[in-house]
Amino acid sequence: MSTEEVTIALDGVGKTFGGEEGVRALQNISCQIFDREFVAVLGPSGCGKSTMLRIIGGLIPHEEGTATVLGKPVRGPSDDIGIVFQRANLLPWRTVEGNLRLGVEESNIPTEELREQVQTMVEMLGLTGFEKSHPHELSGGMRRRVAIGQALMRNPRVMLMDEPFGALDALTRDRLNVELLRIWQAERKTVVLVTHSISEAVFLSDRVLVMSERPGRIIEEVRIDLPRPRDPKTLPEVPEFGQYRVQLGELMGVV
Amino acid sequence: MKINRNIIDPFVFFLVLGLLWEFSVELFDVRAYLLPSLTDIFRETWEFRELLLEQAMVTLEEVLFGFIFAAVFGVVISAAIFFVPIARRTIYPLIIGLQSIPKVALAPIIVVWFGYGLPSKVVMAFLFAFFPIVISTLGGLSATPDRLVEHFQALKTSGWNTFWKLRAPSALPNFVDGCKVAMPLAVIGAVVGEFVGSNDGLGNLIQTATGSAQTALMFSALLVVTGLSLILFFMIELLGRLVWWRAM
Ligand SMILES: Nc1ncnc2c1ncn2[C@@H]1O[C@H](COP(=O)(O)OP(=O)(O)O)[C@@H](O)[C@H]1O
Ligand SMILES: [Mg+2]
Repeated sequence: MSTEEVTIALDGVGKTFGGEEGVRALQNISCQIFDREFVAVLGPSGCGKSTMLRIIGGLIPHEEGTATVLGKPVRGPSDDIGIVFQRANLLPWRTVEGNLRLGVEESNIPTEELREQVQTMVEMLGLTGFEKSHPHELSGGMRRRVAIGQALMRNPRVMLMDEPFGALDALTRDRLNVELLRIWQAERKTVVLVTHSISEAVFLSDRVLVMSERPGRIIEEVRIDLPRPRDPKTLPEVPEFGQYRVQLGELMGVV
Repeated sequence: MKINRNIIDPFVFFLVLGLLWEFSVELFDVRAYLLPSLTDIFRETWEFRELLLEQAMVTLEEVLFGFIFAAVFGVVISAAIFFVPIARRTIYPLIIGLQSIPKVALAPIIVVWFGYGLPSKVVMAFLFAFFPIVISTLGGLSATPDRLVEHFQALKTSGWNTFWKLRAPSALPNFVDGCKVAMPLAVIGAVVGEFVGSNDGLGNLIQTATGSAQTALMFSALLVVTGLSLILFFMIELLGRLVWWRAM
């Protein structure tokens, strides 16, 4: 492992909202995430998963410990990081294209080149024909894809994803998971994905960080040694898949 | 047939009201200078159509200038109150305080300051229209969801672009709502200004017609003011449809 490049390093990170007497959200979080790794963060609701992502993404400060991304201490939002939030956060007055463009409009890419980049992204997301649609004309799954595409357009080295498929139905979720794997493999990014779904974590990731109830601590790290590419139809029949699910379920206290 | 009830019901209702008016005036032999019959008013309106149109144009000009100043200035002031803490602590209470002055009572001094011509009426229309625009725009600016502001931070959008690409479009529906309230108020402001000091305009016509017992003409002018106000309101309503989104 030591030969691989550390992309994200948290060392003793702690966070309390609202001063000394406030809500203790994170406690002594230490972990390393490596280049091009797909890591899932699994934990009960309210345990501080989003808070952890916000700290890595430079959106909120933390009082204890250090957070480092690509060798630099986190000091505010970075071009190296793309964030996909729990809500799609699309602008209702912008079309799919307009929303995809949003994060790169300040980077002075020539108009023609930008149009091509947007078109390529639309194709990769499987949204061809919906370029001129507004968010309210899209299904929930399509909106999610736009949100992911918007982050990818900035070509960050790290993608932080906060329950990106949380509110979707199981079928759409499975399909988007497959697409996410395809994108991850094509784009060679480091991904940290927050989820509360055990199957999703096992299906997608190289490694699962399991968090405790609030204040969130990392109570276990589970390496998922399942071969890739993974197929949502056949993977559930692989015995190890079931074993990982049981193991994680026990850690989460659901079985 | 069911669909048409939305049109037929009010139509029938207003027709009945109109007939009641018409026939009670005849039945009780009301003097024309107290209350003319509806047909008299319509006849008078047609007869004085040129005068009425001319005066309507005067009032329209006052209203439009007052409203546009109120819209532009209102947006600038609400942005200042929203973004500049010192403005929030000083200008905002000042505006609230000024708003509490009955503006009708200010009309005489406004005429003294700005004269009998167009400016004093523009100022009156402005005063009436300004406040609702500031309050609604301010509400729109504050209503931008925090999660979208955070999203823009994550995309490293500059403050300037966050304003134009996020806060301004989120506030636009509220701004339009404010304009809908402000436009009829601007008409009231202009007419009040004309009452107090003017040589023309529909407000002036209403006053001189009443003073010379031309009650039918007074009602004609009233009809035209009302029509003007309605037309302006629906123009805002139509323009407002361009802003079809609501902050989500
Ligand atoms: N901005 C905030 N101010 C105060 N408390 C917060 C804030 N954000 C999160 N919290 C609290 O911190 C805890 C962890 O929240 P969060 O990270 O959103 O949990 P998760 O994403 O795991 O569901 C919760 O108890 C939540 O109420
Ligand atoms: Mg969360």
